[in-house]
Amino acid sequence: MSFAEPCPGAIVCARNLTRLFRLGAGTVTGLDGVDLDIDPGAFVVLKGPSGSGKSTLLSLLAGLDTASSGELTVAGERLTGRRPADLTRFRREVVGMVFQSFNLLPTLNVLENVCLPALLAGRDEGAARRKAEELLERLGLAGRARHPADRLSGGEMQRVAIARAVINGPALVLADEPTGNLDSKNGEAVIELLARLNREDGVTVLLATHSDLADGVASRTLRIRDGRLIAPPCGA
Amino acid sequence: MISFLRLFIAFSLRHAARHRGRTIAVVCGIALGAAVFTSVRLAVHASIASFTRSMDFFAGNADRVLVQPGGVLPEETLARFYTHPAVRDYTVLSTTYARKADAAAPPFLLIGIDPLLDRTFREWRLRGREAEAVEGWLDLLREPYTVLLSLPLARELGLAPGARLALEHTRRTADFRVAGLLEPSGLALVEGGRVGIVDIATFQELTGLYGKIDRIDLKFRRGVSAAEIEELARSLPQDLALHPPSAARESGVTMIRAYQLNLSVLSFASLFVGMFLVYSLVALNVAARRKELAILRALGAAPRTLFALFLSEGVLLGTLGWLAAIPLGAVLVRHLLEAVSRTISTLFVRVRVEDLELSAAEIAVSFAVTVVTSLLAAWQPAGEAMRVPPREAMDMVAPEERRRRSARFAALLALGCLAACGALLPLPPAGGVPLAGYLAVLLLFLGFALLSPFLLEHLASGLDGLLARLAGPPARLAGRAVRQGAVRTAVSVGALITAVALFTALVIMVHSFRRTVETWVRQTVSGELFVTAKLGQVNRFRFPIPEDIVEGLRRLDAAFDLVESRRWFLERGHFPYEFEAMGMETFFRHGDFLWLQGDPAAIRPRAARGEGVLVSEVFAARTGLRPGDRFEARIEGSLVDLPILGVVRDYRTDGGIVFYSHAHFRERFHDPRWSGVRFFFREPPADPEAELSRLRRAILERWGDRLDLVGGRELREAVLRIFDETFAVTTVLLLIALAVAALGIATTLTVLVLERSRQLNTILAVGGSPRQIRSMIFWEAAFLVVTGEGAGLACGVLLSGMLIEVINRQSFGWTFLYTVDWPSLGLSLPLIFGAALGAALPAVRAAFRQPPAALLRQR
Ligand SMILES: Nc1ncnc2c1ncn2[C@@H]1O[C@H](COP(=O)(O)OP(=O)(O)O)[C@@H](O)[C@H]1O
Ligand SMILES: [Mg+2]
Repeated sequence: MSFAEPCPGAIVCARNLTRLFRLGAGTVTGLDGVDLDIDPGAFVVLKGPSGSGKSTLLSLLAGLDTASSGELTVAGERLTGRRPADLTRFRREVVGMVFQSFNLLPTLNVLENVCLPALLAGRDEGAARRKAEELLERLGLAGRARHPADRLSGGEMQRVAIARAVINGPALVLADEPTGNLDSKNGEAVIELLARLNREDGVTVLLATHSDLADGVASRTLRIRDGRLIAPPCGA
Repeated sequence: MISFLRLFIAFSLRHAARHRGRTIAVVCGIALGAAVFTSVRLAVHASIASFTRSMDFFAGNADRVLVQPGGVLPEETLARFYTHPAVRDYTVLSTTYARKADAAAPPFLLIGIDPLLDRTFREWRLRGREAEAVEGWLDLLREPYTVLLSLPLARELGLAPGARLALEHTRRTADFRVAGLLEPSGLALVEGGRVGIVDIATFQELTGLYGKIDRIDLKFRRGVSAAEIEELARSLPQDLALHPPSAARESGVTMIRAYQLNLSVLSFASLFVGMFLVYSLVALNVAARRKELAILRALGAAPRTLFALFLSEGVLLGTLGWLAAIPLGAVLVRHLLEAVSRTISTLFVRVRVEDLELSAAEIAVSFAVTVVTSLLAAWQPAGEAMRVPPREAMDMVAPEERRRRSARFAALLALGCLAACGALLPLPPAGGVPLAGYLAVLLLFLGFALLSPFLLEHLASGLDGLLARLAGPPARLAGRAVRQGAVRTAVSVGALITAVALFTALVIMVHSFRRTVETWVRQTVSGELFVTAKLGQVNRFRFPIPEDIVEGLRRLDAAFDLVESRRWFLERGHFPYEFEAMGMETFFRHGDFLWLQGDPAAIRPRAARGEGVLVSEVFAARTGLRPGDRFEARIEGSLVDLPILGVVRDYRTDGGIVFYSHAHFRERFHDPRWSGVRFFFREPPADPEAELSRLRRAILERWGDRLDLVGGRELREAVLRIFDETFAVTTVLLLIALAVAALGIATTLTVLVLERSRQLNTILAVGGSPRQIRSMIFWEAAFLVVTGEGAGLACGVLLSGMLIEVINRQSFGWTFLYTVDWPSLGLSLPLIFGAALGAALPAVRAAFRQPPAALLRQR
C-alpha cells in the first residue's frame, strides 16, 4: 500500500482514493485506492477499458461525487468532506467539464449555452457574452452563435461544449470520452482544440478515453483497470 | 386476444408498475372525481326515491284522483260517484301534520281515511294475530279518537297498543287511544315510516275541516273508455281537477330535476378535471415511449394494436379510479345525503330520507361515465401512438417541428370552440333543461384549455428578457423549459384553468346570489315577529288561524302594525306556485319588494289599492306572463282575474309567487282568513328587545298552544343559514376539483423534471447550485400556475355570467344582481397560487433523485 506524502505544487493530488457503490446487498468497486499527482499545465490522458473506473475518477475530481474514503485535493482545495455549497463554488471556478454526449441544453441557443456557467456563477451578462463570442470565434463557430443548440452536428456540439467548459477560466478541464460519439475526423479536431487550450492558456487537461486519438498530444498517459491505476513508467 | 393481453401486461402494466407514483396519483384524481360524481347522484337519487315511494304508496292503485288545487273538496262531491256508471270504487283521503303535545318531537304525518272504502285502494295491515288485527281496524271505525301508528313512530313516542296519546293540531289538542300498530308495508312506509292513521270523521273533528276532504280516489269499471273518463271530468265543477295518481309525484320530481341536473353537472366537473389527468398520463407515456412504439411497429405491430394498447390504459385507469372511489364515495355520500335532502325539503318538496339505497342503475351510470370519460381522455394520445412511423426506430432525434404547429392549431380550435359557445348561449332550454347552456359551458372550458399551449409559449417568450434581468438565470431557464414543453404541460394547465374557472364563477355566483338574497331578506322578509297557525309551515298554511284568535291579535298591542297574510299553494298547468294575499298597505310602510320590472313608485300605491297582482320573477319566467297581462286562478271557489302590475324578485321557493292585497281580496272575492301575521313596530321603540319580548309573552300566554312564533331576526338568519348550507355542498365539490387540478400540476412537473434529469445534472456540473435548480423548478411551476390561474380567472368571469344569466335563469327561473366578490377572490386566488406552487415540491424532490455523477455514465 502506497502512502505518499501530500504533493506541493500539484494541481491534482489524490491519496488512496476509493469509491464503492452499494448495489443491492453487495458493493461494486468503482475506484480502488488511487494515488495520483498531476502537475499544473499537464495534458494527461487516462486510458482504460470500459468499466475500469475512468468516469468514476473524473466525477470525483469534478466535485460531482464524493469519495468513500481517501483524500483528494484539487487546485489547493480539499474535496473530501465538503459542504454542497463549497462543491458548487468549486465547480464554477476551478473545473470545466466535457462529456461524451455533449449535454448541451436543447432549449438554449449556442451563445446562451456557452454563457450559462458564467451566468449561473452570477457574472456580468455583458462580459460573459463578449467572452463567449470571443471563444466561439476562436473555436470557429462565430457564425452559429444564435443557432439552437440541438441543430448542430456532433462535432460542432462538442466544440460548443468545450467553450462552455472554459468560459469561467477553470484551472482544470476534465473530458470524459469527448470523442466517443464522434467520427475520427471530428474526434481529432476536438483533441486538437483541447491541446490548443492547454498550450495557449495553460489549462490543465485530464482526458479519459479508450481510443488512441490523443496519444500524440499527451504529456503523460495513465492506465486504469478495475479501479486501480497501473503504475506507469515514471513521467510517461 | 390472448396475445393482446400478454402485450398489454408486458408493455403497459409493467410500465405503469414501474412508474407507480404517477399511476397512483392519476388513479387518486379519478377516484376523487368519480366519488364526488357518484355520491352526488346517489344522494339526489335517494331523496327522489324516498319522495316517489311516499307518493306511490299514497296513490295506491287508483285510476284517477280528484282534488281542488290549493284547497279542499266538499264531501258531497263523493255522492256523484255512488251510482256513476263508470266508477267501480271510490274513497276519500286527507292528510296533515300533527305532533304529540308537549313534546319537542318533530311533527308526523296523520292520514285520515275511511277504513272500509280504503281497503281496495291502499295496502295497510295491522300487526298481531288475525283476530286482534280485525279488532284494531274495527275500533278505528267504531270508536272516535283512535289512531293506528306505524311501528317506528310508536317506538319513537314510546307507545304500545292501548296507550293514550295527546295529539296537537292547529285548532286544538285531542286525546287519542292507540288502537293498533301498522305492519311496515304500504301506507305505513310513507314519510320514512313516521305516520299515523285515523278515521276520516275523527280527522275532520281534529282539524276543523267538517265535511271537507283533501281528495277522492276513483277506480273505474273494467272497459271504461277514455271518452267516458273525459266526459266524467267535464261534468265536474270547474275548480276541481281529475289527475292521474302519479301527477303529484311527477310535479314534485319535475321540481327537483333541475336541482339534480345542476348538482350532477357540477359534480361532473371534478370528473372532467380527472379526465385531464388521464389524458396527461397517457400522452406522457406515448411521448416518452415513442422509440419503443417505433420499434414495436418495426417488429410488425399493427397501428390498431398500439391504439388499443393506450386506449386500454385509459380504461384501466378509469376502472381503478372507479374502484378506489367506492370507499371514498361511501364516506362522502353520508354527508351529502343530509345536505341534499335538506335542500330539497326546503326548496322543493318535503322528503324524508331514511336510508341510502344502492340503485344498480346509478352504479352502472357512475361506472360507465367514469370509464367512458377515461377512455375519451386516452383517445387522442392513443391516436398519436398509432401514427408513430416505424422508421423513427432508426432516428436519433425526436420530431421537433410538430410542436409549434400544434400550439397554433390548438389556438385556432380554441377560437372555434369559443365562437360556438357564444352561438349556443341565446338558444332556449330544452324541456326546462338548459342543454345548450351546458354545452356552451363545456365549449368554454375546452376553448380555454386549448388556448393554454399558445398562452404558455407566448407568456414564456414574452417574459424572457424581463425575468432574466429580475430573477436571474433560473427564471430564464424555466421560461425556456416551459416554452419547450408547452403542448405537454398545456393539459395540466387546462385542468387548472377549468378548476380555477369553476371556482371563480361559483364564488361570483354564490356571492351575487347571497347578496341579492340578503337584500331580499332585509326588505321583503321584514318584520319583528312572525306568527302562524300552529303547524302552519309544515301543513303549507292550509289551516287558517281561528277567527277568535285573529280578533284577539288585532286588539293586542297598539304599539305594533300588523301585516296579515294568507298563502295558498296552487298549480298552473304543471307549474306549482303560491298565491299570497297580504296586508300590502301596511307592508309598504315597513318593507318593500325587490323590484325587477315596472316603476316601483307608481306600482306601490296601485298594488296597495288592489288594482292588480305582483308576480315573482320565477312566475313570470315560467308562465311567460308580463306586466299588463292578466293573472287568472280559481281560489277556494272564487275566480280571481286581475292584471299583473309588476315583477319582483323572490327566493322563497323554486316555484313562483303571486302577491295581492289581503283587504281587497276580501272585498272582491271572499274572506281569505289569516294563515299568518307579522308584527312591525309602529314607531322605533327605545328598547326594541324588551318590547318584543313583551309581545311574545302576551301572545304565548293567551294562545301559546294554537300559534307558532318566530322572531324576525331568527327567521332572516335561518334563511341565510339554509342558503349557506345549500352552497356548502358546492364549495366541497369545488375544493375537490381544485385538489385534482393541483395533483395534475404535481404530476406534470414531476414528470417533466424526471425526463430532464440529464439536463438538470448538466446544469449542476457546469456550476449551477442545487438552490438554482430548485428555484428553476419553482419558476416553471409559477409559469404554469400563473397561466392557469390567469386564464382560469378570465374563463371564470365569463362562466359566472353564463351561470347567472343562462343556466340559472333557464333551470330555476331566477336571476340575481351581479356582484363580484373581490375580497374572497383576492384572498383565495393567492392561496390557490400557493397551493399549486406547493405542487412543485414532489418535482423538486425528484430533481435530486439521480446523482449528478450519473451524467458521466453512458446512455
Ligand atoms: N452509480 C453506480 N452504481 C453502481 N455501480 C457503478 C456506478 N457508477 C459506476 N459503477 C461501476 O463502477 C465501475 C466503473 O465504472 P465507470 O467509472 O463508469 O467506468 P468507465 O467510465 O471506465 O467505463 C463499473 O463497474 C461500474 O459498473
Ligand atoms: Mg465512462
